Amino acid sequence: MSSCFHCGDPIPSNLTIESTINGEQRGFCCHGCQAIAEYIEDANLCRYYERREVENINSAQSRIDTDKIFALLDNQDIYNRYVFQEDNRHHIQLSVEGITCSACAWLIEKHLSSLEGVVHVGVNVSSSVASIEWLPDQISIKDVAFALKRIGYASLPYLPGERANSLKQEKKRAIIQLGIAGVGMMQVMMSAVAMYAGDIQGMEDIYRNLLRWTSFFFATPVVFYSASSFFKGAWRDLKTRHFTMDLPVSIGIGLAYFSSVYALLTNGGHVYFDSVTMFTFFLLLGRFLETLARNKEFNDGEDNALQATERKSKNGWEITSVSSLIVGDIIRVKPGETFPVDGYLLNSATQVDESSLTGEYLPVVRNPGDAISAQTVNVDQQVELAVTAAGANTRAAAITRITERAIAEKPKVAIIADAVAHYFVIGVLVTAALTYLGWSYVGNDNAYWIMVSVLVVTCPCALSLATPVALTSATNYLRQVGLLVTRGHTLESLSATNHVVFDKTGTLTQGSFSITQIDVLASSLSEDQVLTIAASLEQHSTHPIAKVFKQFTAMPVNDLRNIIGKGVSGTIDEQLYFLGNKQLAEEAVGHTLSSNVAQGLVLYLCTHQECVARFHLTDQVRKETEKTLKSLRNLGIRVSLLTGDTIGSTKSTFPLEWFDDVEASVSPEGKWEWLKQNSKSHVVMVGDGLNDVPALAGSTTSIAMGSSSDLAKTHSDAILLNSNIALIHKAILKAKKCSRIIKQNLSWALAYNLIMLPAAVAGFVPPWAAAIGMALSSLLVVVNATRLSRDN
Amino acid sequence: MESLFILVPLATLFVIVAVSIFIWAVRRDQFEDLNHEGERILFEEDDEEFNSSKKSKR
Repeated sequence: MSSCFHCGDPIPSNLTIESTINGEQRGFCCHGCQAIAEYIEDANLCRYYERREVENINSAQSRIDTDKIFALLDNQDIYNRYVFQEDNRHHIQLSVEGITCSACAWLIEKHLSSLEGVVHVGVNVSSSVASIEWLPDQISIKDVAFALKRIGYASLPYLPGERANSLKQEKKRAIIQLGIAGVGMMQVMMSAVAMYAGDIQGMEDIYRNLLRWTSFFFATPVVFYSASSFFKGAWRDLKTRHFTMDLPVSIGIGLAYFSSVYALLTNGGHVYFDSVTMFTFFLLLGRFLETLARNKEFNDGEDNALQATERKSKNGWEITSVSSLIVGDIIRVKPGETFPVDGYLLNSATQVDESSLTGEYLPVVRNPGDAISAQTVNVDQQVELAVTAAGANTRAAAITRITERAIAEKPKVAIIADAVAHYFVIGVLVTAALTYLGWSYVGNDNAYWIMVSVLVVTCPCALSLATPVALTSATNYLRQVGLLVTRGHTLESLSATNHVVFDKTGTLTQGSFSITQIDVLASSLSEDQVLTIAASLEQHSTHPIAKVFKQFTAMPVNDLRNIIGKGVSGTIDEQLYFLGNKQLAEEAVGHTLSSNVAQGLVLYLCTHQECVARFHLTDQVRKETEKTLKSLRNLGIRVSLLTGDTIGSTKSTFPLEWFDDVEASVSPEGKWEWLKQNSKSHVVMVGDGLNDVPALAGSTTSIAMGSSSDLAKTHSDAILLNSNIALIHKAILKAKKCSRIIKQNLSWALAYNLIMLPAAVAGFVPPWAAAIGMALSSLLVVVNATRLSRDN
Repeated sequence: MESLFILVPLATLFVIVAVSIFIWAVRRDQFEDLNHEGERILFEEDDEEFNSSKKSKR
């Protein structure tokens, strides 16, 4: 099957939508994608297609109704809130859907800045936010949003929330701290090389002093500004009496720095400015990369974007923002739109896709009076809804809270490491103090310098680098192959995995239907003909099942009617047809149908006289699923399936023998409970929907699919960016290797410390030798860790 | 060797200027997007090549 040139979705076999793009004939999955590609071609921006890294993300279909939302900006209050106005220039931030790589940013910037009246366009790929400055007397923001839509990007006006702002400030500070530490380290290193050379060749004191003062000058901001977060951590440790690595790191940095200053002023002893700066820089670098990965999936755009809905008022329907809704309001929701708030149905029944809450991917029927949850999708009728809860009181928000609770209960493997560090730190401090006291007691003038040697030798440099460098290296490798690790403990927990739990729909399957078998029951019709009839009946339906038939040619239909919860009917060539479930078919033909049909989802095509055809549908299993499950079990890992679907529909999708155990018809809370009961071991949970969120948070390690809901992503420990589940096997192997390398590193660092410590305590190690030893042992640890970035 | 007494402070001054520019750049949001900005220069180069090759074809 070929794939769409624009969005990468598979093109149905008998559908031909083609255009000549950049001199070559290209196929598309729908007219929307074709229009976008042609428009991009016309605007001379074809280079986009050669440059983008990731395909198949930016589909033409979006649930966001851009027109309605930008119509809200006609309201002056809302306009003033979202649009920053200065002189005759207006400025807005748009949260843009579907930005995946630099090519998207290039396309948007290039296209929008070619519009008359647009002054500046800047796109931030990491946060998917475009900031746009324009002259309101020449162009309106609606035109800009429309232009954005024409090249395939839906957008929402957006105001950064508090958390986004504080994260931004934090990141800026971290970059400056890191930059200063880096530059400072380089300068101090240059002086240090000269001084070491001077030690060997001989050097006049006056030059040595110049170099010492220079390195003092550069080391000072590194210690007081860049390393300030370690000192703050150490202070917190002292207050809470729980010691972490921050404390010895601070003591190491502090003592080495101040004894160097003492040596500088008294013109004796050794200066350690080089060790101090290098140590600080590498620790900061590790910390920075870790934070960067962790904050990557924090998406502020969804929460703080302007959302629109239609509210009933005295003068009919008015467009208003979702945030202004209060309990008791009546709103109108079109088919295909997401319900913005909780409420109950007023005027008519509809089908609701509740997959985001329950995991049940088939829409359910909701009648007037039934409750509707926020974040579910209205499938087939325009409905009116009375608001019962908005914002933080909705059910979707409640699930978020369950999740937060689960996170609090999460087993922390890190606690052990913490405890070890705690005693290590105490040990180091006691040893150093005893050494000083001992040597002073016997009257050695060098007691202070011997103590410094002890502290430098035991300084947890190699020890504290041992774990982070290995983790950083493995994390970077996994990100390159498509698994984004977002929490510090992920790799550690992955390496100990002995149980993997999968969600079904959207995780092991693609979450879309396909026809497995067609039974033509009427002799007068061919397979193609029944498909054409079915496609014609489903052509205007938004139900997920209808997508299956979108690929076949449709004919005009009269009297097309949606029969809620059952199917559709319509007249083609003066023959009335029904397409839907068994119940509808039985009603149509007027007698019960034999039930000797294979399990799974079956659609019936009927007339009033007879049943014309049966379509067997199934969710498509990802092609790497079987192999991945097999290789995981070969590693001795227990593989379970946990799904909200019924056991029957699970069986029709894949053989249950692929798993060690299968649990069907489980609710979101049930998934969490199940995990709690069945997991005394290290469990990895792989899932995608909002329904998996509590389970994701409650497992030792959680992996979300790249196509997951944002909530699932924020609460997971790792994200499969390309939804390739084969990577889970790879990641577990990598994590095991990573933990081996960490062990090697730790044993080396410990062995070094254990050998050097007695020597230092005995006064055999001059401080400069301690510093060189420390640098070399750190280097060894770093080089060992880089082995993780190789591909095997 | 006396020249060191001028050259080292001079080099120090350069470093201070460079770091100040760096801090200014960070504050002006230039390090906001670590993914995209680094690649921008590659794109701009392509543009010119692309435009000129298009022109020459016509």
